[in-house]
Amino acid sequence: MSVNDGPLIVQSDKTLLLEVDHEKADECRKAIAPFAELERAPEHVHTYRVTPLALWNARAAGHDAEQVVDALISFSRYPVPHALLVDVAETMARYGRLKLEKDPVNGLVLTSTDRAVLEEVLRSKKIQPMLGERLTADSVIVHPSDRGNVKQALLKLGWPAEDLAGYVDGEHHPIELAENGWNLRPYQQEAADAFWHGGSGVVVLPCGAGKTIVGAAAMAHARATTLILVTNTVSAHQWKQELIKRTSLTEDEIGEYSGTKKEIRPVTIATYQVMTTRRKGVYSHLELFDARDWGLIVYDEVHLLPAPIFRMTADLQARRRVGLTATLVREDGREGDVFSLIGPKRYDAPWKEMENQGWIAPADCVEVRVTLSDEERLAYAMAESEERYRFCATTPSKTHVTEALVRRHLGEQVLVIGQYIDQLDELGEHLNAPVIKGETRVKERERLYQAFRDKEIQVLVVSKVANFSIDLPEAAVAIQVSGTFGSRQEEAQRLGRVLRPKADGGGARFYTVVSRDTVDQEFAAHRQRFLAEQGYAYQIIDADDVLGGV
Amino acid sequence: MATMEFTEWIRGRTDEQLRALVSARPELITPVPAHLEGLASRAGSPSAIARVLDRLDRFTLAVVETLAVRTEPMTRSGLAGLLGRALTGAEPEPALSVALDRLRDLALVYGPDDGLDLAPGVRKALDDPAGLGPPAAEVFRHHPPEQLDEMADEIAPGTPGTGRERLAAALAEPGRLIAEVSDEARAALDQLAWGPPTGRVPNARREVRLGSARSPIEQLLARGLLAATGEESVALPREVGLHLRQGRVHRDLLPVPPALEGATRDPRLADATAAGQAFAFVRAVEELCERWSVEPPGVLRTGGLGVRDMKRTATELDLPDWAAALVVEVAHAAGLVAAGGGVDGEWLPTNGYDLWRVRATADRWVALARAWLHMDRVPGLVGERDERDRPLNALHTDLRRSSMPAVRAATLGVLASAPGLAPTRDSVLDRLAWERPRRRGPLREQLTEFALREAEQLGFTGLGVLSGHARALLAGDDAAAALAPLLPEPVDHVLLQADLTAVAPGPLTSGLNRWMTLAADVESKGTATVYRFSDGSIRRALDAGQGGDELLSMLERHSATPVPQALSYLVTDVARRHGRIRVGTASAYVRCDDPALLDQITADRRSAALRLRRLAPTVIASRTPRATLVDSLRAMGYAPVAESIDGDVIISQLDSRRVEALPAARVVSSANGLDPEVATAAVRALRAGDAAHLARREPVEAPGGSVPRGPATATISALQDAIRQGVRVWIGYLDSQGNATSRILEPARMEGGYLTAYDETRAAVHRFALHRITGVAGLS
Repeated sequence: MSVNDGPLIVQSDKTLLLEVDHEKADECRKAIAPFAELERAPEHVHTYRVTPLALWNARAAGHDAEQVVDALISFSRYPVPHALLVDVAETMARYGRLKLEKDPVNGLVLTSTDRAVLEEVLRSKKIQPMLGERLTADSVIVHPSDRGNVKQALLKLGWPAEDLAGYVDGEHHPIELAENGWNLRPYQQEAADAFWHGGSGVVVLPCGAGKTIVGAAAMAHARATTLILVTNTVSAHQWKQELIKRTSLTEDEIGEYSGTKKEIRPVTIATYQVMTTRRKGVYSHLELFDARDWGLIVYDEVHLLPAPIFRMTADLQARRRVGLTATLVREDGREGDVFSLIGPKRYDAPWKEMENQGWIAPADCVEVRVTLSDEERLAYAMAESEERYRFCATTPSKTHVTEALVRRHLGEQVLVIGQYIDQLDELGEHLNAPVIKGETRVKERERLYQAFRDKEIQVLVVSKVANFSIDLPEAAVAIQVSGTFGSRQEEAQRLGRVLRPKADGGGARFYTVVSRDTVDQEFAAHRQRFLAEQGYAYQIIDADDVLGGV
Repeated sequence: MATMEFTEWIRGRTDEQLRALVSARPELITPVPAHLEGLASRAGSPSAIARVLDRLDRFTLAVVETLAVRTEPMTRSGLAGLLGRALTGAEPEPALSVALDRLRDLALVYGPDDGLDLAPGVRKALDDPAGLGPPAAEVFRHHPPEQLDEMADEIAPGTPGTGRERLAAALAEPGRLIAEVSDEARAALDQLAWGPPTGRVPNARREVRLGSARSPIEQLLARGLLAATGEESVALPREVGLHLRQGRVHRDLLPVPPALEGATRDPRLADATAAGQAFAFVRAVEELCERWSVEPPGVLRTGGLGVRDMKRTATELDLPDWAAALVVEVAHAAGLVAAGGGVDGEWLPTNGYDLWRVRATADRWVALARAWLHMDRVPGLVGERDERDRPLNALHTDLRRSSMPAVRAATLGVLASAPGLAPTRDSVLDRLAWERPRRRGPLREQLTEFALREAEQLGFTGLGVLSGHARALLAGDDAAAALAPLLPEPVDHVLLQADLTAVAPGPLTSGLNRWMTLAADVESKGTATVYRFSDGSIRRALDAGQGGDELLSMLERHSATPVPQALSYLVTDVARRHGRIRVGTASAYVRCDDPALLDQITADRRSAALRLRRLAPTVIASRTPRATLVDSLRAMGYAPVAESIDGDVIISQLDSRRVEALPAARVVSSANGLDPEVATAAVRALRAGDAAHLARREPVEAPGGSVPRGPATATISALQDAIRQGVRVWIGYLDSQGNATSRILEPARMEGGYLTAYDETRAAVHRFALHRITGVAGLS
C-alpha cells in the first residue's frame, strides 16, 4: 500500500524524478512546477530539483509549505524522505520573515516578524552599513539606494526579504499591442501576466518562442516609458522593428542608445556594451538610467547580464524589471543575483513542450565526428595546451565535412557558425559564401541578413556576433564548426537560430562538426548537456557517412 | 527498632508480593540473599534505594518525599492532605492509591494506612527531600551548646529545655520571626524557599546577636532562620522552608503524566515513510560495507575510526556526518564490520556481513534495529570533544554510555504510548522528566534527542510517529513481516535516455545494481537511482572485464525502452579505442609453454565458440570472459588454471576482503525487566532460607555471657541502628590472632567493610573489620 503508482519519485538529495509517460504526469508536473526547477527533460524521466531559490519563488507566488508537502506526498510513488519534508518547511519559513516595506514617515523600512532573525541580520557586517536607524525592536530604516544590495545580501544569508515596497509607476506613455493579423500566443500572454502580477521577474522561454513579443506585452501592461537593455546593436534594431510592427509605437517614439547613436525617447533601447563602457574608470552612460522616469526596464538575454549592470540594477529596485532568457544557466553561477536583483522566475516552459505545440520548429541535432588525419594527430599531440582546442576545432578535415553537409542541404537556407575568424574566412572561400564577423559594419550585416531572409543568399557564414537575437526565420540548417569552449548556453542560442517555425512546417537541422578523440569532443559533450537535458536527442554520425553519402 | 519492624513486614508479604518486589528490583537478588532478613537489609542499602528511587515517576517520588519531610510515620489522610495542597485543580486520589500500592510493592513504604512510614535508609538516601533543608533539630546539632543557649534566650526567652530544643520549638512556628526581618532578608529567604535550600556565605559561622545584626544574612542567622552548615555555607531549616511554602511540600504536581503534544499523522503515511527510511538505512549499511571491503579505513592507534575517514565515509554515503556515524556504529553493533586485517588493523566487513547481505531487506532491517536498541554507544557524540578537548571518534570505546539503551527504550516507550501522534521534542522531554524525575539532566536530554533523531533515521518512526513495524519489534512480534509489504519491490530494468542518463525507477535487483554501478556513475540516490554513462564509466566497465558487445546486450536486455543512439555510439566508441591499444580489456588469455598443446586447442572444433586468437606461439587470447573460458576448457577436457593477478597482468579486480566476526556483545537484561521464572525461584529460595534461619536463631545472649554470635546481615543492620541512635553495643570480635573477644563499643560510622567505633574497654577509637564481628547485642 505504501508503494502506490504515482508518477513521481522523490530522492533524498532533493531531486524529483517524473516519469513522463505516466498518466498522471501532466497533473503532477503542474503541481510541482511552482516549487521545483526543471533540471533535465530527456525523453522518459524529467528531473526537477527542489532548491531554496525555487521554494522561495513558490512562496513569492503565494504557495505555502503545506501545499508543497501535499503535492510531494500525493504524487510520490515511494515514501517521501522525512528529512526532505522538514527541510522544505524550514526553508520556506525563512522567506518573508523579513519584509521591505514603505513607511509614510521613514521611507524604506526593513521589518521582521521574528526578532531573532532581525538581530541575526543586524549583526552581519555586510548588511550593517546599508541600514539606518533602528525604529522599533522589529524595524529598521534601509537607505533607499541600498534596496537591491540589501536584498542581495539577505539572500546570501539565507533570509530572503519579501519586497513589498512597491514600484514607482514611472512616466505614463500609451503603448498598446497591435494585433493585426497576428495574435499573442497563449503562453506569451501567460508569461506577460505572470510577470505583471509578480511585479518583477524573469521569463524563461526557448529561442524562437517570441520573447520580444512577451517584452512588448509587458510594456503594454505597464503603459509607461521603457528602457530596454539588449546584447548588441543588431539586436537593438530588431527590437525596434519588432516593436513598430507589434505595438502602437511609432519609429519616433523609439530611441537607440548605442555606440553610434545616443537617442533618449519614451522607449529607449540600449546595448550592454555602451552601458558598461568606462571612461577614466567611471561608467560614462549611467545617467541614462535617470534620464527619464522609466516605468519598466527590460533585460534581454538576462543570463548574459554583465556584472556592472547587476550593480547598476541594484539601484533600480523601485522600477519594474522584466528579464527575458532562454536559459537561466549562467556559466558564472550568478543565478542568485538574478533572483534578488531582477526578480524571481515568473514563467518557464520546457522546450520540447513548445515544440509539441508547434510554436518552435522540431529540430534534429547531429554531431558529426571527424577523424583527424595522421599528420593532424601528430600536430595535435605536440600542440601547446592552450592552443589545443583552437587546433582541433579548426582542423582542415572539418572544412571538407562542412562542404559535404552544405551540399547535402542544397536548396535550404544554411548558416555556418564558428568561433575562429581564420576558419570562417576559409570556409567562406570554400563555400563561396559571405562571412559576417565582428569587423563587418552594421549596415553590411543587415544587408546580408536581409538577403538571406529573401533567399538571395543561401549560405551564410557567421561568427559569434550572430549568437543572439538575430531573427532569421527561414534558416533551416545550422552547422557549428567551433565554439566558445564548453559553453552550454551558446549551444542553446545557436540552436535557437533555426528554431523559428518554418513556413512549410518543416523541421530544422543542427549539425556540430567535432574532431574525434580531442578536447573538441569533450567540450562538445559539455556544450550539449543543456539541450540534451531539454530533450534534444543528439545523434552521432561519422564524417565518413557524410562524405560517402554524397 | 524500625529495621526489625520492616523485616517483619517483609516477612509478612505474600509470595506473590515478594515476586513483584524482586522483579521490580532485580538488584536485590543478585546474588540471592540467604534469607528474608538479608533481603530486608539489602533493600535498605543506599545504593539499592538510589536505584529504585531513580525509577519512580514524579508523583510517586513526591509521595516518598512528602513522607521523608516528616520524621514520624504519617496517616494516609494526612499524606493526601499535604499532597493535595500541591495539586492544582486535581485530587490526590486515585493517583495516591496507585502510588502507595507501587511503593509497598517496591518495599519503599510499609506500615498500615494510619502509620505509613518509609523503609529504613530511604530518608537518608534523600538529601534535601523536595528541596527542603534539614530539620532544625538536626541542623543545629553541631553548633556549640552555649551559642544555642544564647540564641534561644534572645528569640524565645523563658522557654524550657536545652538551647537546641528551645530553638527547634521556636522555629516550628517561624511566622513571628520572619515578620521581624527586613525586606532584603525576606527576599533572600524567598530565594531559598523552593530549593536548593543551601547557599554560600562568607564566614558563615560568625557570631551574631539580634542587636548587632547588620546585613540581611546576619538578621537571618541571628534568628536561626538560616543555619551555618560549614565555614562558608548556610542552610534553610526545614520548618522555615515549609512555612515559606505555606505548608506545601511541592510547588505544583501532576498526578498523571503530562499529555503529549504534537501533530497527528495518518498512520499509514507514517508507516510508509518509516519503511522508506528503513529501506534507505539498510541500503546505506550495505553501501558502507561494500566500500569498506574494497577500501578499508585504518584503525586508530587508540581504537576507533579517524576523523578524516569518517568525513570521507559521510561524503560517500551522501549523509550528514551524524547520520553516517550512526550507520557506521550500527553496522559495527550488528557485527557487520569489525577491526582486523593488516599489522595496524583495518575496519573490514565481517563474514557475518555476507550472511546478512543475502537476507530479505526486512530481516536485514530487524537485525540492524535490534543492534541499535541494545548498543551502549552513542553515535551522536561523534565529532564532539571530550573533556580534554580531543574529538570523539566513531567506533571508539569513549562513545559508550551505559544509560543509552535505557534512554532509547524510555523514549520509544513514550512514542508508543501515543499512536498516530508525532510528539514534539519538548513534550517528549517533559514526559520523560515526569516519568523519571531523578534521571533528568542535560546529558539525559541530549541522549533523548539523539534517540529521537536516530529513531527517525533508522525508520523506527516516520513523520515522528512510531511505526507499526517498530511497535512489533518492541513487542517482540514479527517486525519483518510487518515491514516487508511496505518496502519497495526491486525492479529489474532501467530507463535509458539520450542525455546518457539512466533511471532505475526503484531499487534494482542486486546483480543489476552492481552492474549499473560499474558501468555508470551514480548521480542521484534514493529509492530510485539516476546513473550517468560517460567515457570514464564505460571504460571502467571494460577494465573490469566486460566487453563492448556484452555491455550493449546487457543494456538492451534491461532497458524498458530502446537504447538511444548516442549511448550505443558511446559504448562502441569507447570500446573501439579500448581495444586499439590493447591495454586492460576484459579479454582472457591462455598461456602454455608447449605450443603444440595450444595448436591442439585452437584446432579443436569445440573451441570455435570461445573466439580464440593466437597472439604468440605460447599465448592465445580470447574474447570470452575468463571464468567462461576456464569452464569451457575444462569441459573440453583440459586442465586450465586461472592465473592470479601476480601473473602477466590482465585483469585488475580488487578482492573483497573479510574478517572474522567477534562474538556479539551479550545483551544485558536489566532494561527488559526480570524473567518471571527467575523471580519465582528467587522467592522460593528466600522463603526456604528464611525458614531455616528462623529455626536455628537463638536469642542473643546478654552481656556477661559468652560472645554474641549472629548472621552477618543482622549484625550490620544492628550496627547501623546503633549508629543512628547513638547507643552502645556489645560485640563479639575475632582479633587478628583469631582469638574470640568481646568489646563494648560506641559505633560512629561504617564504611568500606570497617566499623569505626569508640572502644570503651580500651578507651580509644578503633577500626573493626566487619567480617570479624561475630555478633552484636544491645546494652541496656
